[in-house]
Amino acid sequence: MAGAGASAISGRAAVMARNATMNGAGVARRRVRARTWSAWSDRHFKWLLVAPAVILILALTVYPLVYSVWVAFVNFDFQIPGHDFVGLQNFEHVVEDPVARWSLLTTAFLSVSSVVIEFLLGLGLAMAMTKIFTGRGVIMLILIVPLFVSPVVVGQIWSLLLQKPYGPFDYLVGQLFGPTDVSWLTGNPWKYVSLIVGDVWQWTPFMFVILLAGLTSVSPELYEAAELDGVSRWQIFWNITLPQIAPLILIAITFRLLDAVKLFDIIFIMTGGGPGTSTYTTSFYLYQTGFQHFHLGQATAGSWIFLILTAVLIMFLVRRMLRPERA
Amino acid sequence: MAQLKIAGLHKHFRGVHAVRGVDLDIPDGEFTVLVGPSGCGKTTLLRTIAGLEEADDGTIEIGGEVMNDVRPADRDVAMVFQNYALYPHMKVYKNIAFGLMARKLSQSEIDARVKRAAAMLGIADLLERLPRQLSGGQRQRVAIGRAIVRNPQLFLFDEPLSNLDAQLRDEMRSEIKRLHQEIGATMIYVTHDQIEAMTLADRIVLMRDGQIEQQGTPLDLFERPATRFVAGFLGSPKMNFILATAVESGGALGLQLGDGRGLALPEGSRQRYAGMVGRKVVLGVRPEHMGRARDGLQANGHVRLATVVELIQPTGSRTYITFPLGGTSVMAEVQPHDVQKPGDPIDIDLDLNRAVLIDPDTNRVI
Amino acid sequence: MPSGKRARRRRQGALSFDNLVRVVYLGAFLIFLLAPLYWAVITAIKPVDDYMTIPPVWFPEHPTLVHFTAAMFTYRGLVGLINSAVVSVAATALSVLLGTLMGYSFARFNTGGQHLSFWVLSQRFLPPVAVVLPVFLLYRNLGLNDTRLGLILIYTVTSLPLSAWMMFAYFRQMPAELEEAALVDGYGRWGALWKVALPLALPGIIAAAVFAFIFCWTEFFFALILTSRSAYTLPTIFRGFLGFQASSYGEASALAIVSLVPSIILGMLVQRHLVRGLTLGAVRG
Repeated sequence: MAGAGASAISGRAAVMARNATMNGAGVARRRVRARTWSAWSDRHFKWLLVAPAVILILALTVYPLVYSVWVAFVNFDFQIPGHDFVGLQNFEHVVEDPVARWSLLTTAFLSVSSVVIEFLLGLGLAMAMTKIFTGRGVIMLILIVPLFVSPVVVGQIWSLLLQKPYGPFDYLVGQLFGPTDVSWLTGNPWKYVSLIVGDVWQWTPFMFVILLAGLTSVSPELYEAAELDGVSRWQIFWNITLPQIAPLILIAITFRLLDAVKLFDIIFIMTGGGPGTSTYTTSFYLYQTGFQHFHLGQATAGSWIFLILTAVLIMFLVRRMLRPERA
Repeated sequence: MAQLKIAGLHKHFRGVHAVRGVDLDIPDGEFTVLVGPSGCGKTTLLRTIAGLEEADDGTIEIGGEVMNDVRPADRDVAMVFQNYALYPHMKVYKNIAFGLMARKLSQSEIDARVKRAAAMLGIADLLERLPRQLSGGQRQRVAIGRAIVRNPQLFLFDEPLSNLDAQLRDEMRSEIKRLHQEIGATMIYVTHDQIEAMTLADRIVLMRDGQIEQQGTPLDLFERPATRFVAGFLGSPKMNFILATAVESGGALGLQLGDGRGLALPEGSRQRYAGMVGRKVVLGVRPEHMGRARDGLQANGHVRLATVVELIQPTGSRTYITFPLGGTSVMAEVQPHDVQKPGDPIDIDLDLNRAVLIDPDTNRVI
Repeated sequence: MPSGKRARRRRQGALSFDNLVRVVYLGAFLIFLLAPLYWAVITAIKPVDDYMTIPPVWFPEHPTLVHFTAAMFTYRGLVGLINSAVVSVAATALSVLLGTLMGYSFARFNTGGQHLSFWVLSQRFLPPVAVVLPVFLLYRNLGLNDTRLGLILIYTVTSLPLSAWMMFAYFRQMPAELEEAALVDGYGRWGALWKVALPLALPGIIAAAVFAFIFCWTEFFFALILTSRSAYTLPTIFRGFLGFQASSYGEASALAIVSLVPSIILGMLVQRHLVRGLTLGAVRG
C-alpha cells in the first residue's frame, strides 16, 4: 500500500505544488484583525461560556438572599403593616420560640438516624451485590427505583401503608403480635420511626449505588494478596475494604446528610408536622411561620440562621470531600 | 510555504519553565526536527508555534508576520497529532475536508482537494469509512491528508509515529520523507527518537531543558557534537564515555586512563588539546569506531588494546561486545564471527581520529 | 471476600453460608422495596368498597380504573401532569444548555479557579427554604407567581449545579486533542465546541438531561409555594389529599402511579450513569 501511494506522489504533488503557490497568496492574507467579533469572543470565550449560568444564579439565588437580609431586619408580617426596622427582633423571636428549637433537634435527630441506617443497610446491599449471579441485573433495576420517586409520593405511599386502622401494616402487626391501638403516624415514638422508614426506603439505594461503585473498584489483587497471607474475613474488611472505599463513603454521607437536613416533603405529607408540632423539621417550621402564619420577617430570620448552620456543615463536609479529588 | 522565525521565546507550562529563550531561524521549505528527551520542551515549543499555547515572552514570525496574538485558525498552519486526533463522529472524507469547510471554499474545490490528497496517500478507497474502522497506519495517513489538503504555510508534526509498531514506523518515515521531497513545504517535526531525527531532518534542533543544545544538519551533530549531551544522544548504540587524564610524554599527547592504560592521541591533535594537559577529560568513542584489531601496524591515531570480552550481543549483521576499559564497561562493534564466547581474549582497535574529548567541567566538546 | 481454610468449605456451591445470607438479605430488602409499590398499585385499582375492610383486600376481585380518571380530571391531575411536563422539559433544556457550557469552561480553562466551581457546587446544598421567601416576593413583584415561566427559571437555577458538575466531570475525562485539531484546522473556539466537543459529549449530555428532568419532575417545595391555581405541578396535587378520609385513597394512589412511571422509566435508561449523576460527577460509575 505504501508503494502504491508513494508512486502516485510525483505527478500529483507537482500539480498540488503549483496550485499551492497560486492559492497560498490568496488564502493567507485574511488574517489577524479581519473578524473582530470572533477574535474578541475567542479571547473571552471561557467567560462567555459561564456568564449566562452565573447571571441566572446571581439573579435567582444571590439577589434574593441579599434581599432577604433586609427582610430579616425589618417588620415583614401580613398581620402587622409596615416595614419598619426592628433590629434583631425577628431573630430573637425565632431563637426564643420553643417550636423552633424543637424542630432543630428533630431535624438533627431524623437526618442523622436516617443517614446512619441508610449507610448500614446500603453497605449490606452493596456487599451482597458485588458478586455476579443470575438475576442480578433485574434486582439492580428494582433496587434503584426509589431514587426516582418524588418524595411526596414516597410519603403518600407510606401513609397509605401505615394507615390505621385499615392499612396492611397495621393488620400484619396485629396478626403477628396481637392487636394494638398504636397509631403509626401519630404515636410516640412511632411517628419518628415512620418518617425515618420513609426516608430510608427512598434513599438507601443512594448509598447502595455509590458504595457498590466503590466496592467494585477495589483491585481484586489486594484481596488475593490478603488471601495468600491468610488474613481473616473481618480483618480484610476492616483493614482493606473500608480504607479503600473511605473517600466514597465520605462523598455518600456528605451528599445524603446535606440533603437530609432539608427534610420537608415527607413531613408535609405523612404527618403534617404533627401531632401538634412534634414532628416539625426546621424547613417545615419555617414554612409554617412564613406561609401559614405569615410572619415573613421572622421566617426569614430563621432561615438565615438555618442557612448559616448549613453553610458551616457544607464548609466542613464538602471541602473535605473535594480535597482528594483536587489532589 | 513560509519561513519560521522565533526569537527569545519563553513559555511556562504547568509551573515549569518549559521553553527558555529559544531562537530559531528556519528558511522556507526546510524539514526541521525538534528532538530531545521527554520534558525538554519540544512539544511545548511546537504547540506554541501552532498557537495552542500562548508564549510568555518572545516573538513568533511565520511568513514574515508576527503571529503571537493570532488564533491557531488564522495562522495557516496544519498539525499532525500523536494520537491522530481524527474526529470519531465523521467519516474520513469529512475528517479531511473539515478544515476546508471552515474556510468557505466551494464544494467542488473541497471535493477536488480531498480526492487529490487521498490519492496521494493511497487512502482514496477509505473515504467513506469511520476512523474506528481504520488501522493505525491508515489513521495516520488520514491525519496527514487532513494537513496536506489545506496547503498551509507550515506543517507541524507532533511525534506522529510513536503510536505505530516498528515496521509501520519505518514505512511511514519513508513516506513522510518522500512527501517533503515532493511538496517541499516547511515542516517542523517533533520526536524523541533520534533515528527519526537523523533520517528525516534537513536540520536537527536538539533540545534539552527548554533550550537548544545544538542545531545543524544530522551529520553535523553526529560528527561534530558541541556537548557531551549531543554526543551521547545521537547514535545507537550510544557513544562510550571514559574518564581520563590528558598527559604529555616525549612531546606527544596522550590519555592516561583509570586502569593504568595509556592511549596516544593522533598527531595533529596537539593544538586542540594542548591546553588540557594535566587535567581530567572525558574520552568519547562510538562503538562503530572500534573493531577487532587486524595484524600489522596501527595507523595514525589508532590504538591497539588487548582485553577480554565481557558480554556479547549479536544483532545479525553486526555484533556488539562490551569489554573493560578505564574502569568502565565499553561497547564496541565487531563482525559477528570475530568473537566466540564471553571471557575470550580479544584485541580491539580504537580509532581516536574520530573520537572526541570533553571537558568535564563544562561538558563541552573540545 | 474469601479467607483462610474455613472458606474453602464455605465457598462451595450455591448453598454456602455466604449465599444464604445474601439471598435472605436481598430478599428481605426487595420485599421492603416492593411492598409499598404493590400496595399503591392495588389501592389505585380497588373499587371504593374494598377500602375500609379488615383484613385489607390484598387483591381486588373487580379492579377498576375509575380512580385514574378521577385523579386526572376531578382532581385535575391532567393539568398538573401537563404543567409538570412543560416545566420539566423547559427547565431541563435550559439547565443542561447553560450547565454544559459552564462545565466545558471549567474543564478546559479552569475558569474562575477552584472558587467559582466550588460556589456553583455549593448551590446544590442550599436549603430551598432560605431562598423561597424572597423569590416569592420577587416573583410577586414581577408577576411571575403561579406561572410556568417562574417555575422554569427557579428550576433551572436549582438544577444548574447538577448539570454543570456532571458535564465538568465528563469533559475533564474527554481528551482536548480533538478540539485542538479543530482549532488548527481553522475553527475558532466556538466552532470547535459546537462541531467537535458537543457532538462527542452527547451521551453525557443526555445523562445530565435525564437527571435534571427527574429532579424537576419530582420537585415539591418550590412548586408548593410558587404556584397555586394555574401553574401547579403534579407533586403539588398531593396536598389536596391531606385530611381526606378513605374516599380519596384510590385517586391518591392513581396519581402516585402516574407520577412514578415516567421517572422510573427514565431512571432505568440512565442506570449506567447513575453514580455520576448522584454524586454530581465526583465519582465515576
